[in-house]
Amino acid sequence: MNKTEAIRAIIEATTAEPIVFTTGYACRIASGIADRPNHFYMTGSMGLAASIGIGIAQQTKAPTIVVDGDGSLLMNPVGLLIAGASETLPLIHLVLDDGLYASTGGQDVPSRAADLTALARACGYRRVLEIDDVASITSLLGDELEVCPSPVFVRIRLRGPDLPVTARVTGDLGDHAARFAESIRAMMKP
Amino acid sequence: MTSVTVDTARELAGGLVQRGFGPFYGTPCGILSRLYRAVEQTAGLQTVPREDNAVGLAAGAALAGRCPVVLMQNSGLGQSVNALASLVSPYRLAMLLVVSLRGVNPDPTQENLVMGRLTEPLLAELGLPTLILDAEGDLTSQVDWITSMVHDLRRPAALLIPPEAFGWRA
Repeated sequence: MNKTEAIRAIIEATTAEPIVFTTGYACRIASGIADRPNHFYMTGSMGLAASIGIGIAQQTKAPTIVVDGDGSLLMNPVGLLIAGASETLPLIHLVLDDGLYASTGGQDVPSRAADLTALARACGYRRVLEIDDVASITSLLGDELEVCPSPVFVRIRLRGPDLPVTARVTGDLGDHAARFAESIRAMMKP
Repeated sequence: MTSVTVDTARELAGGLVQRGFGPFYGTPCGILSRLYRAVEQTAGLQTVPREDNAVGLAAGAALAGRCPVVLMQNSGLGQSVNALASLVSPYRLAMLLVVSLRGVNPDPTQENLVMGRLTEPLLAELGLPTLILDAEGDLTSQVDWITSMVHDLRRPAALLIPPEAFGWRA
């Protein structure tokens, strides 16, 4: 499974649930597959995707998905500590791990010796999974979007070459944030 | 500590809560300790280990329709520059930053002087409207200004806290 296939599986398993996509190719691939109002494309602020997702999940108390990367997680792992300390937070923290900084030229992420799942567990996540196929993403999200009783950390191992990546996210970022905020408001309406 | 400084912290916390601000995120700072206590008693405070993560949490809360407040020292403003420049400002996310002024008179600590000098120009270049708290002045009109910026116009703004505002001493 490559990054595009993983992101496609995530988008196909969701309808209106908020999804925060991390910096770089994750945003571009997602917006190329389907540009839905429940998508938040974090085009800058590398490392903060989990923090934004935590902020949303704390306020809505509804399942919130973060599509993180190995590089962006390591840019600022403090989000792990905050989520790990929030026992009942409905956060679905997906980490697409390709071992590369793909959008900046494919440099190696210096994490060969690191165990991201052990790091998440040490930070307090009680539910930590590793998956490497599309069917597992589909079934995991099917369950978690139904009931997500506590933060879950999911390392998604990627393999194989990716498709050529689609264009950068364009359009006014303020308008993008307003569209996303409106979709959360609509989701929360009784 | 004078009763004025205690009352200022309480009055500011109460004023912000009353105008619908929250949630409140706090990061380590001695100047703000009395304000932290007041916020904790009025609305609850989530402590966050690093300032840019607090800004990230506040971004999420703003997207969920709230009017969040991030309390930090200006050293943490340095830590938050990219979060403010590439997230809060371009995405126009409503939040109030309450930033204490280390390295500004009467704080002579050398390690804080450069950030003390940078704080106001940095906020100006980030495009964040800024007010310096006048602890002796009318708090209501100052809270009114903050409310008009963040709550009514849904834009980010900063309130700067001079070292002695809540009784801190060098």
